Amino acid sequence: MAAPIPIDSYKLGFIGAGKMAESIARGVVRAGVLPASRIRTAHKDSDRKEAFTAFGVTVFDHNEEVAEDSDVVIFSVKPQIVKKVILELKPLLPKKKLLVSIAAGIKLTDLQDWVGHNRFIRVMPNTPAAVGQAATVMCLGKAATKEDGELIANLFGAIGKMWKADEKLFDAVTGLSGSGPAYIYLAIDALADGGVAAGLPRDLALGLASQTVLGAASMASITGKHPGQLKDDVASPGGTTIAGIHELEKGGFRGALMNAVVAAAKRGRELSQS
Amino acid sequence: MAAPIPIDSYKLGFIGAGKMAESIARGVVRAGVLPASRIRTAHKDSDRKEAFTAFGVTVFDHNEEVAEDSDVVIFSVKPQIVKKVILELKPLLPKKKLLVSIAAGIKLTDLQDWVGHNRFIRVMPNTPAAVGQAATGKMWKADEKLFDAVTGLSGSGPAYIYLAIDALADGGVAAGLPRDLALGLASQTVLGAASMASITGKHPGQLKDDVASPGGTTIAGIHELEKGGFRGALMNAVVAAAKRGRELSQS
Repeated sequence: MAAPIPIDSYKLGFIGAGKMAESIARGVVRAGVLPASRIRTAHKDSDRKEAFTAFGVTVFDHNEEVAEDSDVVIFSVKPQIVKKVILELKPLLPKKKLLVSIAAGIKLTDLQDWVGHNRFIRVMPNTPAAVGQAATVMCLGKAATKEDGELIANLFGAIGKMWKADEKLFDAVTGLSGSGPAYIYLAIDALADGGVAAGLPRDLALGLASQTVLGAASMASITGKHPGQLKDDVASPGGTTIAGIHELEKGGFRGALMNAVVAAAKRGRELSQS
Repeated sequence: MAAPIPIDSYKLGFIGAGKMAESIARGVVRAGVLPASRIRTAHKDSDRKEAFTAFGVTVFDHNEEVAEDSDVVIFSVKPQIVKKVILELKPLLPKKKLLVSIAAGIKLTDLQDWVGHNRFIRVMPNTPAAVGQAATGKMWKADEKLFDAVTGLSGSGPAYIYLAIDALADGGVAAGLPRDLALGLASQTVLGAASMASITGKHPGQLKDDVASPGGTTIAGIHELEKGGFRGALMNAVVAAAKRGRELSQS
């Protein structure tokens, strides 16, 4: 049985000092989940070093130093190099350390094979981690304990919302929350274009478009009401809103979004099998 | 010249104690802009009374009492009854009071005609005012002639996004996710993306480029959206809603 990670004193290390590691580290420090002094990573490039030291994180020169000095190790390198990095660091990653991967498409069975034990947790965050509004899903490897899961849930809860799901659902998760932000960027652009078509100057149209999407998403998130109910609440008889909705339905708006999620999930499945 | 409204002591009244008035009042109190004790409205129905008294707002029985006891008066009744209400309250609405209308499609020229003076401000918020994220919670000033287009975009826009969240969730379910996980992820994904756009200030096209990696899942999804005329449908929605807004404000 894996020894519990000491909640109040554990040290957190990131293998891979990129944007995602930075977002998670910043969020965790800002939310008071962990002081920066208990976080470490490695990079030789002074720009990346400074991105972390600027808020108190320790930056070594080598991944080996991070692995040695951490109780919980998050692999935040690109999916193509995860295997190489795990095999290199394997002697420094015994079962008493809790290991986490955020690499898209890399399965637990492979992670566990490469490191030689099952104390791995697989996590799928998304890019809005950068602004503390990630949608994150995790699944536990065979030897990851319930407390391990809670520790990780707490960490990722600092950068957004967190769900647990079976690993077999991860390709679908990729298609929805992984790729989903891009669909919304398209929507904001199109709403702004619609505003301009209706006569608004571009900067006003774009500002209103962004804020409108943010407001609607906040309503859905905070009120917990079904989106269909929220739509009913605002579509008054013969009004402007139902006229707009009619155009969306005529244009197959909903179908297009369903197609996007399904196609992205399918592509995710292809990539993770290759 | 109109006497200035005393910033630190003015009383704010809502004529019309509906959802929009409640959203604005709650938001204003939560943000510390005004204490609830300086806000008043009127309603006879005990449910609506309680919606307001629950957070400290005074609720009278009659609009006349609100008009008398307020320095700034917001008309938050349905557009169809704005004229009637203003004409009824006219003697209690001198130029020393600042008047505001949030009624969609009702023009300043008419508001000013009905009340007999020009100290009126026309505002177009949208329902996400309830959670402090109204498009006016970021506030823009615009020429009144743009208000129908504003209605089509930020007035009606939230509904387009509710449809999007529903459809994303359906897509998730089609791809194998259980409904509650799909819906939770859909809402949070839209919130996250909108936060990115809002906070980073980057162009949405740039944000899209940043995340669409070569041959990846995201560009596969985007391809489906473009094939389906997703952007065109949204443009159509904004234009149609703006057109409907223009029709309504001319009727």
